[in-house]
Amino acid sequence: MSASGWEQLLFIVAVTAVTAPLLGRYLAATFRGGRAPGDRVFLPVERRVYRALGTDPESSWTWRRYALAVLAFGFASTLLLYLILRLQGVLPLNPTHAPGMSPLLSFNTAVSFITGTNWQAYEGETQASYLAQMAGLVVAQFVAAAVGLAVALAVIRGIAGSSRTIGNFWVDFTRSLVRVFVPLSVIGALVLVSQGAVQNFSSFRTAQTLVGGTQLIPGGPVASMEVIKLLGTNGGSFYGVGGAHPFENPTAFTNMFDLLLVIVLPFAIVFMFGRLIGRPRQGLAIAAVMAVIFLGHTVIAMEAEAHGNHLLPASVSQAESTGNPGGSMEGKETRFGPEASALMTVGTMGTTAGATDSALDSYTPIGGTGAFVAILLGEISPGGDGGGIYAMLVLALLSVFVAGLMVGRTPEFLGKKIRAPQMKLIVAYVLTIPIVVLAFGSTSLVLGAAKRSILNPGMHGLTEVTYAYASVAQNNGSAFAGLSANTTWYDSTLGLVMLIGRFVPIVLALAIAGSLAGARTHARTRATLDTSGPTFAVFLIGVIVIVGGLIYFPMLILGPIGEQIVG
Amino acid sequence: MRRHLLASVIMLLGATIVLGFGYPLLVTGISFLLFRHQANGSLVYRGGKLAGSSLLGQSFTGRNGNPLPGYFQPRPSAAGTGYDASASGASNLGPSNPLLAGFVPGVNTVGLNGQPSPVNPFATKADPACVPTDPKGNPVTSPAPGQKYARNGDGSYVCDPATVPERAIAYRQFNGMPPSAPVPADAVTASGSGLDPDISVQNALDQASRVARARHLPVREVVSLVHQHTQGRPWGFLGEATVNVFELNLALDGLR
Repeated sequence: MSASGWEQLLFIVAVTAVTAPLLGRYLAATFRGGRAPGDRVFLPVERRVYRALGTDPESSWTWRRYALAVLAFGFASTLLLYLILRLQGVLPLNPTHAPGMSPLLSFNTAVSFITGTNWQAYEGETQASYLAQMAGLVVAQFVAAAVGLAVALAVIRGIAGSSRTIGNFWVDFTRSLVRVFVPLSVIGALVLVSQGAVQNFSSFRTAQTLVGGTQLIPGGPVASMEVIKLLGTNGGSFYGVGGAHPFENPTAFTNMFDLLLVIVLPFAIVFMFGRLIGRPRQGLAIAAVMAVIFLGHTVIAMEAEAHGNHLLPASVSQAESTGNPGGSMEGKETRFGPEASALMTVGTMGTTAGATDSALDSYTPIGGTGAFVAILLGEISPGGDGGGIYAMLVLALLSVFVAGLMVGRTPEFLGKKIRAPQMKLIVAYVLTIPIVVLAFGSTSLVLGAAKRSILNPGMHGLTEVTYAYASVAQNNGSAFAGLSANTTWYDSTLGLVMLIGRFVPIVLALAIAGSLAGARTHARTRATLDTSGPTFAVFLIGVIVIVGGLIYFPMLILGPIGEQIVG
Repeated sequence: MRRHLLASVIMLLGATIVLGFGYPLLVTGISFLLFRHQANGSLVYRGGKLAGSSLLGQSFTGRNGNPLPGYFQPRPSAAGTGYDASASGASNLGPSNPLLAGFVPGVNTVGLNGQPSPVNPFATKADPACVPTDPKGNPVTSPAPGQKYARNGDGSYVCDPATVPERAIAYRQFNGMPPSAPVPADAVTASGSGLDPDISVQNALDQASRVARARHLPVREVVSLVHQHTQGRPWGFLGEATVNVFELNLALDGLR
C-alpha cells in the first residue's frame, strides 16, 4: 500500500477517534432520560408526536410489548412501501416514467429497505420514480435506522438496568429521528451538494456532446437520499451503481466523508453504551474490538487492491508510480483509485450499510474476501446503527460464558449471572444466520434457474451466490453485482432471508435483554472476570473469529481463497 | 397488537409527510440558494447549448464508433453502449473472467460446472489483430486440453477486443507506443459507474502526442494543457490525482 493509502486510513481512524466519543456523549445525554441538550427545540415536537400516537412517554414496557411494537411497525411500513412501489406508475412525481414494479420485485424491495438491507434488485435510474425514492425508500431508510437504534437502547436497558421493563418503543424511535437522524442528515446533505452531489427534481436533460452526439443527464433528489443511506447504515442508492456515480460521490473528499457518515455513528453508539451503563471503559473495550476487526478486513482489502490483478499482462502497469495510481482498476473510479475505493467499500462492509464506491465483483479474490469476511463475522465492525452494539453484546455474553467454562465459575456480565435460559437464546441468535445463509446458498447452487443468474464462471460464481445470501441475511445489501438477482427465485428467497435476518435477531436480542432485566446485580469481587480489560477484548475477538469464521470457512475456501490460489 | 398497528399507521403517515416530502424539499431549497450550480449537476454550456456535465464522462468516438485521435480518450465504459448516463454500470467481470483477463492457461478455462469450457470463452467478436497472450505477454500457441477454439484465416486464435490484453495492444497502436510499453491500468479497465469523467495523469500524457499530431499542435502545448487540467489529490492525500477528460477536450476545442 502507498503512503497516501496509509495516510487516508490514519485520517479515518483519527477523525473517528475524536468525533465518536463526543457524539456518544451527546447520545448518552439524549437517551439517559431526564433533561437533555436541545430540549427547547425538540421536546415540543416530540410531545406532539406522542399525543398523535396516543402513547404515554413516561410508560416503560416489557420486552414482549416492545418486540410486538417493532414487529407491528415493521409489518405496517413494509405494506405501505410495497403499495407505493406497486403503484408508482400512476402516482405523481414520476418524470422518468418508471412503471409500477412487479409484485415480487416490490416485495423484495420493500422488505429490503424496511429491514435496512437495501439490496437493490431494481435499477434506480429507470425502475423507481422520484416519489418512490423520496416518499418511499428514503422514509424507509430513516425508519430502519431509528428502529435499530431504538432496539439497541432497549437491549442496553435490559442487560444493564435494574428495572424489569426496557423502555417505550415510540419514545426511543421518535427521539432517534428528531434528535439524531434528521438534523445530521440535513447538514450532511448540504455538505454533499456543496461538493457536486445533485439535488433537483429535473428529469433527464439532453446534452449535445462535444463530438456531436447526445447524452441524457440524470437528475433527482440524490443528496438527500445519499446522506441517510450512509448515516442510517442502509446502503441503498438513488442510482444503480451507488457511490461510484459522480453525481452521488463526486470527489475523493466526499468519498471519505461518506465513510465517516457510515462508521462514526455506530462507534458513537458504543461509547453511548459505556456512558449509559456508567462504565465508559466497557464501551471503550468494545469499540477497540470493533476497531481491530475493522482495520483487519479493510487493510487486507486495500493492500490487495493496490497490488492489482495478477492475471492481467505484466505490461499493464498496476504498480503505483508518478501519475499512475495503478492497482486493480476494473470497476473503480479514477478519482478514488484502488486504495480509497477499497477503504470506503470494504470499510463500510463491517456495518450494515454495505455502501460501495466500486464494483465488488471485479475486486481481486483477496480484496473481495475482506468484504465477505466483514459480513460473515456478523456486522460488528462497527456494525449498523444499533445493530452493531446489540450483536456485539450477544457475542460478549457468549464469550463470558465460554470464559466461565474455562475457569470454572458462573459467568457474569455487568454483574448479572448468565444462566441456561439466556444461553439458549444466545445460541439461537448466533446460529440463525449461518443456517439460513448456508441452506439457501447451497440450494441455489443445485437449482438450474438459480445458477443461470451467475455472471462469472468458476469459483467466482460460487462467491457471487453465497455472498448474496450472506449479505442480505446480515442486512448489508451489497452485492457481487454480476448476479442477475431480479428473478423469481432470488426476489422471493432473498426477501425471505432479509426478514429472518432482521427480525429474528431483534426478537432474540430483546428476549435476552428481557430475561436479564431486573435480574439481581452482584457486586464486583476480585474473582469477577473483568470484561473491560485487554484480556477480555482479545478473548472476544477470538470468539468472534471462531464463531463467524469457522462456520463459513469451507465456503471461503471453495470461493475466493480457492480463486486466489488456483489463479 | 391493534393499538401498535394503529400507532404505526399514524407514525408512517407523519413520517412520509415530514421525511418523504418536507426533508428533501428543505434540502433542495437550501441547495438552490447556496449551491445552485452543483445541485443542478455541474452543467456546462457551449454556445448557449447544454454540452454536458463536468462530473460525467462522454464518448469521443466518430460516427463509425472508432475513437477520434484529436480528442483525449476516456476509460472504457460499461454504461450502455459507452458513457450512457441513463444506464450507469460497471462490467462486474471477475478478476479471472476470460472476458476481462483474456485467456490465462489453466485458470479461466473452466465453466460453471467445473468442466473445461467447450469453446474459447473470449471468441465473441472476431478481431483479426488479436493474439491471445498469457500473463507474461507470450502468445498462446496451444489451447488447454479438451477445448475448441475459433481461428482466424492465418491460424491465429480469435479473441474479444474488450479484454484487458487486447485493449492494451490497441492503446499502444493508437498512441504510437512500442509493443511492450507499459500501459496505465486505468486506460484498459472499465470504471465503476461507466461515467468516470477522469483519467490518470500518465494516461493523459501517453495520449498527448497523438492528440497534438491530429490537431497539428506542438506537443509542448498539449502537454502543458494536460498539466493545467490536472487536479491534485484533495487535501494532498485523498484519492488520486486526475485529469478531467471532458474539460480538457473542451479546452482543446477552445484553442482552435
